[in-house]
Amino acid sequence: MAQSEESDVTDKVIRDVEEHLEQGKFPLQFYNDADVHELELDRIFGEKWIFVGHESEIPEPGDYARRYLGNDPFIFVRSEDGEINLLFDACRHHGAQLCRAEQGNTAHFRCPYHGWTYKNDGDLIGVPQKSAGFKNLDRDENGLFHAPRLETYNGLVFGSLAQDGPSLEEYLGGFKWYLDIQFDMVDGGMEVMGEPHRWTVDANWKTIAENFNGDSYHTAWAHGSILDLELGGEETVGGAGTGESIDRHVYVDGHTLSTRMLDEPVHLTYPDSVESLLTGDGLSDEQYDIGKRALQFVGAVFPNFGFIHFGNTTDDSAKEVCPFFSIRKWQPVGPDEMQIWSWALVPKEAPEEFKERMYKMYTASFGPSGNFEQDDVNLWEGITDSAQAQVARSENYALNYQMGMEWMTDVDIDTEWPGPGTAYTENLQEGGMRQFHEQWYESIVDGEGSER
Amino acid sequence: MSKSIDGVDEEELQALVLERNVRNFYKREADLLDDRELEQWFELIDKDIRYWMPRRLMKEHEPSEFDEDGYFFDEDFGSLKARVERFDSSYAWAERPPARVRRYVTNVVVEDWSDDELDVHSNVLVYYSQDDTEDYSLISVRREDTLRRTEDGFTIAERTIYPDHTILGISKLSTFL
Repeated sequence: MAQSEESDVTDKVIRDVEEHLEQGKFPLQFYNDADVHELELDRIFGEKWIFVGHESEIPEPGDYARRYLGNDPFIFVRSEDGEINLLFDACRHHGAQLCRAEQGNTAHFRCPYHGWTYKNDGDLIGVPQKSAGFKNLDRDENGLFHAPRLETYNGLVFGSLAQDGPSLEEYLGGFKWYLDIQFDMVDGGMEVMGEPHRWTVDANWKTIAENFNGDSYHTAWAHGSILDLELGGEETVGGAGTGESIDRHVYVDGHTLSTRMLDEPVHLTYPDSVESLLTGDGLSDEQYDIGKRALQFVGAVFPNFGFIHFGNTTDDSAKEVCPFFSIRKWQPVGPDEMQIWSWALVPKEAPEEFKERMYKMYTASFGPSGNFEQDDVNLWEGITDSAQAQVARSENYALNYQMGMEWMTDVDIDTEWPGPGTAYTENLQEGGMRQFHEQWYESIVDGEGSER
Repeated sequence: MSKSIDGVDEEELQALVLERNVRNFYKREADLLDDRELEQWFELIDKDIRYWMPRRLMKEHEPSEFDEDGYFFDEDFGSLKARVERFDSSYAWAERPPARVRRYVTNVVVEDWSDDELDVHSNVLVYYSQDDTEDYSLISVRREDTLRRTEDGFTIAERTIYPDHTILGISKLSTFL
């Protein structure tokens, strides 16, 4: 978009969102708008920290996987020196792509067009007939382009297309405390098992983002079949604000965590076979206590990373419950299309048999055929469909996210909560989604007039 | 009793009849699934069933490579039964409204057979359309089955579903393949 068109769209966003945001509302039209989508690619996906993958996916030198920042193609690769690189997949010569696999292992990437060859750290090492055809070519200036910034926290690798900005740790802020619980609650940490599931959904990426920003309210309704089939306990998937569980929604530095806990040690129903790994080694006493009492966690990092670490569900009511752990990103393919990437994680040190069971539990519940996730996607597609309606624009039709606002819901803050951020004592709360909208709005407005 | 056809021996005739029976079985199975007669379909499932769908990978050199650890689903009798029964729930939104689905089962080859079991592979193309739209998705897979002979006909003892997709072009897999 030209600069002036871009600022016209920004003005519209400011005008249309501002009147709603303070009331806990958000315009429907922005879930399917080509101009807004362009702005998001520029000011959100071009600026923020975007999840790339887990370092356990590329353990050995030369291991690589094809990944995207926004919709830009990159090669996520561990070079011979053991460093992780994120290389833009376009030959410096005429731009042909070098990566022809979802994953693999290679020392070099060779361009199929004219044969320019790069080491797996991006350095240009081969140019056919260089001495005759490119005698003054500076190899140092013609290596593959590295993502401007690439940082790792607790195995999670994020990249950013922006040259400047907060470090990943500053960006995650207090949310690191909650990521630590997920990744360190089982001694030895977590590793990715299998390749990520990838599938396209005709829905705007913000629909699933909201869902992961603390939508406890939808669980009993959208996933009521889980209760009907006794594939999950009432405390885990029952109605928000009901039952025996101790529920918390935590909003911290723009990111969201929701949890349901019991007043006894349950460790997300990790079984006896991993009990010896549940010592809390690597966690503070406070983190360990939260992890110990939790039945489930759902979390989201702005803009498009989420996780679900659930216990107390099963694939067959005749079988024992078992936890699963999925991390995911939603790639903003278009205003009305996203590609979901979903990884399964398992404890690195757990017995093989348990890892297999935990992977199976992931596929039973989440991923494209998950008994939970199947039922979400139609709903997100429906929102996206209605968002293109004339009424959405002419009326500036707004959606309601007021649950948990003081005048709408009795809310209490848990002043004893040991972790960072603000912890609400109820999960009848849509504050995580309001926080997401605020972040979205600030990103769009702050990005106006930026050099990029 | 046996009528002879010139140049065709008894063994070839047996193979032909077997293949026809298998194709008829698949036609009936596809009809049950297309018509969402899921309970009747589940009667075709053997107690020992392994019903699973590996995750295809895009690799530089190999045309059909599958993930060693990962898969889309891997069901035994109990977990497949739960998936079937789930669609009876009034909360199973994935199939509300029920999708309009048609399965095309082709290239049926009976690889091997004994008195008890048959190994069969086939190609399946599924047309899948839902909601108030003409849009549809296609799912293309190769199936490798072990069928078991019973008094009431065949049952499915093992089914491996090899998808031709790395990125699924369908929003969810809520139909049986």
